[in-house]
Amino acid sequence: MFHDQAGACIEDPPPDSGGGIPRLARAQLHEVHADGVDWAGALAFGLGAMDADGRKPVLLLRTRRRGAAMVPYGAGFAAFGVDPARLVVIDARDDAALLRAGLDAARSSGPAAVIVESWGRLREYDMVASRRLILAAERSRIPVVMLRGDADPRPSAAHTRWTVSTAPSVPLEPRAPGPPALLVELVRRRGGPAGMRWRLEWNDEHGGFRDIPLDHAAADADDRAGGRAAPLSGAVVPLPALRTGAPLRRIA
Amino acid sequence: MTLADARARCPDLATAPHDPVADSRALERLAGAMIAFTPLVSLDAPDGVVLDVTGCAHLFGGEAALVRAVLAATGHAVRHALAPHVAAARALARFGGGTDVRALPVSALELDAEALSGLRRAGLETLGDLASRPMAGLAARFGELAVTRLRAILGEAGSPVVPLRLAEPIRLETRFPEPLARTDDALDVIEDLLAQASRTMEQRQLGGRRFLVTLHRTDNARRRLAVETGLAVRDPAAVMRLLRERIDTLSDPLDPGFGFDAITLAVLGAQHLPSRQIMLEDGREENADDVAALVDQLSVRMGEDSVRRVAPRDRHLPEKAQALVPALRLRNVQWPPPEDVPPRPLLLLDPPQQVDVIAGVPDSPPQRFRWKGRLHDVTLAEGPERIGAEWWRRRGGHMPGGAGETRDYYRIEDADGRRYWIFRHGLFSEKPDPRWYLHGLFP
Repeated sequence: MFHDQAGACIEDPPPDSGGGIPRLARAQLHEVHADGVDWAGALAFGLGAMDADGRKPVLLLRTRRRGAAMVPYGAGFAAFGVDPARLVVIDARDDAALLRAGLDAARSSGPAAVIVESWGRLREYDMVASRRLILAAERSRIPVVMLRGDADPRPSAAHTRWTVSTAPSVPLEPRAPGPPALLVELVRRRGGPAGMRWRLEWNDEHGGFRDIPLDHAAADADDRAGGRAAPLSGAVVPLPALRTGAPLRRIA
Repeated sequence: MTLADARARCPDLATAPHDPVADSRALERLAGAMIAFTPLVSLDAPDGVVLDVTGCAHLFGGEAALVRAVLAATGHAVRHALAPHVAAARALARFGGGTDVRALPVSALELDAEALSGLRRAGLETLGDLASRPMAGLAARFGELAVTRLRAILGEAGSPVVPLRLAEPIRLETRFPEPLARTDDALDVIEDLLAQASRTMEQRQLGGRRFLVTLHRTDNARRRLAVETGLAVRDPAAVMRLLRERIDTLSDPLDPGFGFDAITLAVLGAQHLPSRQIMLEDGREENADDVAALVDQLSVRMGEDSVRRVAPRDRHLPEKAQALVPALRLRNVQWPPPEDVPPRPLLLLDPPQQVDVIAGVPDSPPQRFRWKGRLHDVTLAEGPERIGAEWWRRRGGHMPGGAGETRDYYRIEDADGRRYWIFRHGLFSEKPDPRWYLHGLFP
């Protein structure tokens, strides 16, 4: 397994702060933390930043929730470059069943990626469980993403840990919400520096996230907050020139 | 008779479009059921079945009793005839009754209209009339076919039955001289049976959709283990995995008691499954869709309703436009290419959650709303996208006011940058105080 891990490091460079957009690399376990209200943002980050095969099924594992349920909406997934026909939704009875199914899914090389939605403390998720998930991911060479809603980070063996929250968008037309924007922070990374932050904006044309520097974003926000009387002229954001070496791929 | 004439005579007449495929399937089913009476059954398309009951009648208490039993088993209104050979029986059943083929009209030859009218003009009404003439003359005047058919009906030429052959079911059994007391041993035996079944299926290019293992205990109790797969499989290892899952989910584990006497395996629902390329490295058949095995496994463990795919439906209310269907049942999903519609949320709240909203009338987006006890100030909004009710699904929906309420959807963003899909249920012109619902979350 160590051999595999070394291979993975060479093949999938870890997300770097050197200008690229953050990516959830293959054959690794990633944790994405988000508040319940930012759930769609966390899911979109998982789908959009994932390095995965574009034809195979995407497995979405979740626990059954009482009361009002959040149902994955096919037409919305299509907007993130995931053909809804590729989506397999798996409802587990409880957290233990969720992790067990997640492990089975991560072991199979069939899916493009495995996304595990979990809520709250997730008692069964510990060093051992996360290590198992990593071993499975390394063997099947698919990305495994643990989405953790309303949860405090727990010690785990995951390669990366992110926090995601939705950010104010840059208005398009007069006062209409613009393309989805997210604030993403790499909180922890095994064997590398962490603490980088990005402001990501979904680009419909290229079908991927692109990164808008935070200071621009702050300026936009100022514009929006203070500049109600004088809104941005036109619909254009000052986009930075596309950085070299950061291919905008249609992913997930 | 035209449909209008028929309706005039019988106003309650039920009509349905002709479905030849379904008809032929129904006929095949019927023929399959007839195997209970005789092993020699053949189809007489489009709507007949021929049974060769030679040597079978005494088993049912004579010919009359056999006929009664057959008629009862069909469940349809049928005409039947008994005759020494197939052509005669067919002619008797379709063109007359009794047992005398010579009394049948010449139409029983089933010639074309011209030949038939020629026969009638010559004063030949029955097959008996024809049979008394020299065959050579008949052939010269009315064609070779008339003579061939006539000779077949009279029994002078053969009319062989080509019986349907049902595929032999795949059932395997192992009996033990000594009862088998350990579950692990039983599993080994099952694996062995599966390997044999796999070879048989390979020869026939079949794969199984259901596998039923029956464990016969010495005290005559039977334990059944059934697993179902989404795609046809014949790989013993894959089925073993499912069976182990099934054993794990049993509330009481497989209890051998004083031991198992015999184990049987039946492969049900076999489907055509061509051989696939064998991988060089491990000698196994290449598995194109690895997810199918995973779906099977998780469906067995968690129930098939827990593993689902998202399928589009041709409805336009957002919550009805898709359905989550068990992945075992749904093989190929095709989503239409995305249309040029306003953006849709990634997550849909089902059911929509009611929220308190402050909004201008009549057609303004919300300015502020309260959801889960928190106030949200709306900074940006887009809309409305008006989605009408499905009036055609409601009784009286075409009448004014009967259609149900129109929804006005807004895509809004609050001060924290969260984007929601919210709708007003009803227009102000439809009702005085329409309610607002939160229906989806955008990233």
